[in-house]
Amino acid sequence: MEHKHPVEAMAGGQGQPPVLQPGYTFATITDKISAIVLTRQTPLGWFVGVGIAGMLSAVLLYAVSFLMYQGVGIWGINHPIGWGLAIVNFVWWIGIGHAGTLISAILLLLRQSWRNSINRFAEAMTIFAVMQAGLFPLLHLGRPWLFYWLFPYPNTMTVWPQFRSPLVWDVFAVSTYFTISLVFWYIGLVPDMATLRDRAQNRAARMIYAVLALGWRGSARHWHRYETAYLLLAGLATPLVLSVHTVVSFDFTIAIVPGWHSTIFPPYFVAGAIYSGFAMVLILAIPIRHIYNLEDMITDRHLDNCAKIMLATGLIVAYGYIMETFMAWYGGNLYDKHLIWNRMHGPYRALYWALIAINVGFVNVLWTKKVRFTPKLLWFVSLVVLVAMWLERFVIVVVSLSQDFLPSSWGIYIPTRWDWATFIGTIGFFALCFLLFIRVMPMISIAEMKSLLPSSEAKAPLESES
Amino acid sequence: MSSDARLEDRDFTAPPIFARLQQRALRVGAVLALAALAGLVAAPRQAMHSYLLAFMLCLGPTLGAMALLMVCHLTGGDWGVGIRRILEAAMGTLPMLAAAFIPIVIGAYLHLNYPWANPEELKHNEHLVHQASRYLNPSLFLARGVLYFIAWGVMAYFLLAWSEAQDRPPERPPDKRFQALSAVGIIIYGWTLTFAVIDWVMSLTPEFTSTIYGLIFMVGQGLIALCLATIVAHRLRSHGPMSEVLTTRSFHDYGKLILTFVMLWAYFSFSQWLIVWSGNLPEEIHWFQDRIKGDWGVMGLALIVGHFAIPFALLLSRGLKQNARKLMWIAVWLILMRYLDLYWNIEPSFDPAELHYRWLDAVLPLAMSALWLGYFLRNLRRRPLVALHDPHLAALLAKQHE
Repeated sequence: MEHKHPVEAMAGGQGQPPVLQPGYTFATITDKISAIVLTRQTPLGWFVGVGIAGMLSAVLLYAVSFLMYQGVGIWGINHPIGWGLAIVNFVWWIGIGHAGTLISAILLLLRQSWRNSINRFAEAMTIFAVMQAGLFPLLHLGRPWLFYWLFPYPNTMTVWPQFRSPLVWDVFAVSTYFTISLVFWYIGLVPDMATLRDRAQNRAARMIYAVLALGWRGSARHWHRYETAYLLLAGLATPLVLSVHTVVSFDFTIAIVPGWHSTIFPPYFVAGAIYSGFAMVLILAIPIRHIYNLEDMITDRHLDNCAKIMLATGLIVAYGYIMETFMAWYGGNLYDKHLIWNRMHGPYRALYWALIAINVGFVNVLWTKKVRFTPKLLWFVSLVVLVAMWLERFVIVVVSLSQDFLPSSWGIYIPTRWDWATFIGTIGFFALCFLLFIRVMPMISIAEMKSLLPSSEAKAPLESES
Repeated sequence: MSSDARLEDRDFTAPPIFARLQQRALRVGAVLALAALAGLVAAPRQAMHSYLLAFMLCLGPTLGAMALLMVCHLTGGDWGVGIRRILEAAMGTLPMLAAAFIPIVIGAYLHLNYPWANPEELKHNEHLVHQASRYLNPSLFLARGVLYFIAWGVMAYFLLAWSEAQDRPPERPPDKRFQALSAVGIIIYGWTLTFAVIDWVMSLTPEFTSTIYGLIFMVGQGLIALCLATIVAHRLRSHGPMSEVLTTRSFHDYGKLILTFVMLWAYFSFSQWLIVWSGNLPEEIHWFQDRIKGDWGVMGLALIVGHFAIPFALLLSRGLKQNARKLMWIAVWLILMRYLDLYWNIEPSFDPAELHYRWLDAVLPLAMSALWLGYFLRNLRRRPLVALHDPHLAALLAKQHE
């Protein structure tokens, strides 16, 4: 609802650091961002990164190939813990994606113009994270090549998905999310593709960018249609920020397993998703702005804002933990009480206490300005948060399943090296996609950055349709 | 800053009609309260049930206003400048709510309202005895209630005291204290309200637990406070210099916020329903079974349509949100829906078999609301309608004239 005028926002106001350092013009913004792709020498760090990420992607390929050959028995899953790391990783990755959509769609509709310098790469992060997330349930199917059976299509086997199962809702939620995110990201890229087309020296690059630019000439009519489409897509993407992780939370809550069946799960999952997503945004933004000297565009203000959103959503997540524990005590249900006991004192207690220590305790360091304005500290906090959020999903999935209603069927789950190889492989594949993206596409939106300039003042700000 | 100086010379006192409204509200409230008193003597149990409804209804705009005010201070947006004084006046009615809490405690001691306080109920329910022994008993209920009101009282006191200090010239630099208190305050509000509604409403059905319950009430309070602010702002819009502060743009913002709250209410309520319904566990499903049978079910459907579908569909229109008059009517409608939602939450616990709408269910909430309104208008009239030294006011005025 904040009506920060672009110019005012840029200047900072109220003693805050600016969103864009003064001194830029239309031309210098274009030069600076497009040079990263077209003319500047690729930093050595990029090659090192691609090397490592490529190797890890090879690990993923190997783990997945062996899984196809051998079956899901190579993983540690058993009875009663049928879900294991595959689902832990699925929830973790898809949660990370949410921050990108929140930045690109919701903050656009709220006219938060500071988002203009981070929305492009945050959205790319979303797409790549959803790609990793989507892999896991597919591999977990056992016979991944029959994945299309999940879709309701007319077939001679009269097999039809069970629409009452949230696992089927997931198929729709995730595939819709991926499609809309991809289209939204691409539409946003079109004017920048045209800029690169016009500036590329290399003939092949020029042709590729020309195809991607869809014949963009920058006429007033183009801009008008572009902005309309962009706003409509933002409107479509906004409910997805809430709905996707809500549906993921239904995967758990619709069942009556203690530790899964809790009414707070939908908003608490959404908050957790945004929390971990912003941690990933910071993990990516802090080194990138350093390596590519982008401190003028991704300023301390951005880091500060991201950290504040992380803190707020982290506190909501903590509210969820405490409500769950309180209600088990208050309601006095035997199984609920046992679940809490099992979390605190059972075989996985170390993981539970680590996540509580971080998400309820440690995250409060973000209250201090010093942490929010020291990029190295902030990067470390983000990393710790990502670990804690992974542990949270592990506790939800594994601890709940390990000891449910029947003591005779309790069990222990220990991930095998194939579980770990798949997980670490997806981190590598994610990094590889991201590194390739920043090499060939403008990681900051050239067109949108210009609306932060004082010379854009006469232009009416984007009006939201809602 | 020049616009400030210009504004300071203007008359920002409340219009005279507010004084008349205040008198009328207090008079109506007093008469209805007498009628309710007669009801209390005649049917004390029923009166206590209706009283809880009235109390929760008036608590909504009071605490909701406090929460919205803290969100305003925290985010520093200029959308709140125009309604800041309205929210402050609503928050200022907290002493009345604290006093109104006393009969609820007395009711608990006299076994009139809560099953866990009733020895008859405890006799044949071992589980309830267990719950009563460590959490749900009148003494702890009272102690926790006092704690909640102290927490709210302290926050409201400082927010109002600093606000009055800000009114007195000379002009001060932007006050950082508001932000600091609001950051902590919004967290305190979230926690205390959650435990308060567990005590006051959820414990009416002691075996029922729902971890999202507190959030549903937070959204409800924010919604009713915003609706009240919209209605009062509509009345003030045409009053003298207020027209410069409350413009089409302001109402557009309020409309968007109301829409957000309506959607959040539906999202939380639907999540709770879907999860409990699909789980179908005996200790939870009874709560919904009582509320979807017979006429209670009709009321539930009415809530889906009236509290969500209709306002949602209407508020999608930009033209409507920018039209202060139409938005005001939506706000009136939504306040009625808040009453219905609270009724549907509270009353089936007393009367699960069938919906019996009793005259006290209307008279008591009306009486308390009228008295609340009188108090609120008194608070509103005491101070200028605009916080002239609010650092966001200048920014707001600059934009309104764009």
